[in-house]
This record gives sequence, structure tokens and C-alpha cells, in this order.
Amino acid sequence: MRVLMKGNEAIGEGAVRAGCRYFFGYPITPQSELTHYLAKRLPEVGGLFLQAESEVASINMVYGAAAAGARVMTSSSGPGISLMQEGLSYLAGSELPSVIVNLMRGGPGLGNIAPSQSDYFQAVKGGGHGDYHMIVLAPNTAQEMLDTMGKAFDLADQYRNPVMVMADGIMGQMMEAVDLAGDTKIEIPPKPWATTGMAHHTGKNVINSCLVIPEEMEELNLRLEKKYKVISQKEQACDQYMLADADIVLVAFGLVSRICMSAVEKARAMGIKAGLIRPITLWPFPTELIEKTADKTRAYLTVEMNMGQMIEDVRLAVRGRAPVFHYGRLGGMVPELKDVLAEIKNLHEGGTGR
Amino acid sequence: MALVDLDLINPYFRVRQVKNDFAEKGIAVISPPGKLAGADIPALPPTIHSVLENPAIYGVFDVGGGDIGATVLGRFKNKLPDGAFNLFLVVNTCRPYSSSVSDIINITRMIEGSSRLNVGALVSNTNLGMETDVATILAGHRVIAQAAAQMALPVAFIGLHEGLAPAMGNIGVPLLPLTMFMKTPWQ
Repeated sequence: MRVLMKGNEAIGEGAVRAGCRYFFGYPITPQSELTHYLAKRLPEVGGLFLQAESEVASINMVYGAAAAGARVMTSSSGPGISLMQEGLSYLAGSELPSVIVNLMRGGPGLGNIAPSQSDYFQAVKGGGHGDYHMIVLAPNTAQEMLDTMGKAFDLADQYRNPVMVMADGIMGQMMEAVDLAGDTKIEIPPKPWATTGMAHHTGKNVINSCLVIPEEMEELNLRLEKKYKVISQKEQACDQYMLADADIVLVAFGLVSRICMSAVEKARAMGIKAGLIRPITLWPFPTELIEKTADKTRAYLTVEMNMGQMIEDVRLAVRGRAPVFHYGRLGGMVPELKDVLAEIKNLHEGGTGR
Repeated sequence: MALVDLDLINPYFRVRQVKNDFAEKGIAVISPPGKLAGADIPALPPTIHSVLENPAIYGVFDVGGGDIGATVLGRFKNKLPDGAFNLFLVVNTCRPYSSSVSDIINITRMIEGSSRLNVGALVSNTNLGMETDVATILAGHRVIAQAAAQMALPVAFIGLHEGLAPAMGNIGVPLLPLTMFMKTPWQ
């Protein structure tokens, strides 16, 4: 069955289809349709939707539900996600599977309600305190937003780790046809560590990230590091487009990757060998593929709705073997196809970007 | 003619973003002025009253956001006497919560409740965006026509992409072929 859904609704439906039955959150533009949808949808499947008194409360409710073994999520936009940072660090420290959705808007500060990708650093470099990583997924269509939710909950359970799904405000608001015919079989792995009462497990299950003995704190950090290494090796995901013979390689995620795809097509029509890498996982960053392209690429161009954040990860992957440039629009402005094309032409003609 | 942008719910894809294009075609768009146009606050410009009180102006109100969005219409109930207006409910059966006869009746009643006005006709607007074909429109229209019949309401017209209109044939309901002006950033 094909339906016309807003990205926000697709995320909500994707969560329900992934077996998520608990949502705790607080409305904020441009993700309020997600809370609106789940407020209607979760009670239909025996789930619970709760509007908390704040984002701080929401993320701690997520912590509680995840500790009890539930598939649980929250969602917000920039300012609300900032409020949740302490909780995200706690979730990572306590190794609690959970899914957090950020529909990004213009910042910093109160900013505005227009689309943005400026929370990249916050999502992939920490945001909260301590050595930790969230797995960060960046879908680029309404269909993928729906499908990504299943993947997000599976990864969260598999690695006992918070997973963030990130998109810009436009992706939350725009409508696209979505196929609901796919697999809805929900397989939630057993969670013998969850605090479900002594009737369900032997021994005492404790969920905690407070380790006052330095040796124990170090041990947790080393264990987490080992886990992050496995995730880095196994879970890098990206799409590529016309990459095989490309000498100008664009790197873009989410909505912007679709603009870049059109720009690559137009550049090809002009005889410029352009290609595109679209990271699907922002953490772990798809370093492996980018690394492989470094020796045959004349120049990279990251296109982002920010001042240049992902560009740092591209540069780390390229390791100086080719120049990496950035083109960005800010504050809710979206890169225009013609401007991205002009940047490609500029690099093709030996320019050095802005 | 004036187009009143009453969409207080959805902060994106609002007619106010193409105000100048409408002006070029002689249609005034009435929306919150200046900085407020880009905000998600329930700001109602006073110029709305010029449309409601001047019988020489043909006003079209774009009310977004389903039953919650329709609440704002109730604010103008005393300026909207029976017979002076028609309230159309635009229905797309490919959208969640409006895919069946009972869904459509339910949303009609909810919108009537929150707006304190009666829906006068349904508009058959089933589409899957770029993926719409004639079969999609006809399948949706069958459901919408049935819902309209059960509520004793007419179907005012079928809204559809102009490219699909010639293939529709005569199904006894007027067609409103639409020309698409707004495009995605990648088109």
C-alpha cells in the first residue's frame, strides 16, 4: 500500500512498525507532526504517548523505559536536543538502547524554524560529556525515514547504544509516497540485562553509569571503546552516485544529497566528471569508501546546510591526498542547484572553492 | 481576489512564501506581516477583516493543519453567516487518517467541531505527489464520493495535475487541472 506521508509521519509509522511502543517528548517545530502522529497512532497499538514537561524530563523517561527493556524513542529539534545532552551521555554510559530523532532547524540559540544541518558536530562528536558515541543515521527520503527507524531500533538493541536519526526540517515536513507493504515482523532480541523484576532473571540487574572507583570507570570506557571500534568497522554505510570515474567528488547527506545528485547529473551533461558520496551513517562516518577514492579524486566538495562541519570528517578520511572544499547555506537557506553546479564548475576549472 | 493564508500549523510550504508570484497574477496574499511570516506563532493579520467585510472581494482561505488548524476559523464565525461562504474539505485518500469512508466522515466532523462551521462540499484530491496516476485518483474518488453521499454533501470537483486531466474521461464531476509552480530544491 502506497501512502503520501510527511517525513515526520513516516518516522512515526516506522517506529510503530519497528515495535516501538513508548514515546516521551515535547513538541517543537519543525518536528511537531511526529509527536502529533504518534499521539494518535501509539494508543491504537497499545502503546503509550506521553508529552513530558520538558525535553530534560523526556530523555530521562526514555532512560527509564530503556532500562526496563522497552523499545522507546523521543524526538525534538536543535534547542530541545541540546537540553537532552546530559541524558544522552547517561544513556551511552549505561548502555541503554534508545532512539532519538532530531529534525534540525536554524541555530545557534533559539534560531528559527527553518531547515538546517548545523547539529552535525553535536550528534557525531558528542554533545554530552564523556567519551561516548551515538550511532547517527541520516535518511534522505520519506521512505528511507520510515525504513531507517527499524534499522535504528535494531542497531540500538544490537549494540546497547543510543541511536540518533537526523534530518533537516524540510525532510520532516515534505510529503512523499511511502510504501507500507514491507516486512512488519518485529524481532526484539531478549534483554537479560533489563530491570524487569526478579521474577524474570536471577541475580540483581542494575542500570547505572556512576562508577566512583577510577579503575571501574576506566574499565567501562575501555569496554565502550571496544564496542565503538566494532561499530566503526561493521556499520559504515553510504550511497554512491556516478563515482567510478569521478574526479570531482561531492559529499552530502540528507536532503542536500538529493540536490547534489541533480547537480552531478547536470555537471556530467556539461562533460565534468562529477560524482557523489552520500553518508547514510554520520557516525560511524563512511571513512573506508572515501579513503578509497582519495587517490583518483582531484577535489572534494562537501555541501552542507552549515558552516562546514562534515568537511572535517571528509578531510580526516582523505588525509591530505586531495583538497576538500565546502559550500554551505545557513539559517534555513537551502543550497540551490545552480549554485552547487557553479561550485563544481569552479573546481573543475581549477578554482579553490570559497 | 484575495488568498488568506490561515495555515498556523505547518511552518513550511505555505502560500506566503510565494506571495510575490501571486501578486503578479493579481491575487493578494494575506498573511502575517514582516518577521512574523516565518514564525510558528498564531498571528492573525488584521487585514483578514478586509476580506470578510468587503463583499466586493472574493476571498479564499487556506486553512491547514486538519482539525487543530481549523480551530482558527471558529474565530471568524460571527463574520461568516450561512450562505456567505462555502467550506470545502480537500480529501486525499492516500494520506493517513483519511483513507476510508469512516476516516473521512470522522475528520469532517472533527473539523466542523473545531471550526464551528459546516463543511459544504468535499474536494476529491487523491494523489501520491509525483507518483500519481489516473488509477490512484479514481480509486480515491470512489471512496470520497461514498463518504460525501453518506454525509449528503456534494463533491465540488476533482483536483489533479493538468497532465492527467485528458485521461480522466467524463465521470460526472468537474475537473480542476492544476499547473505546478512550486518545485523541490533538486528539480
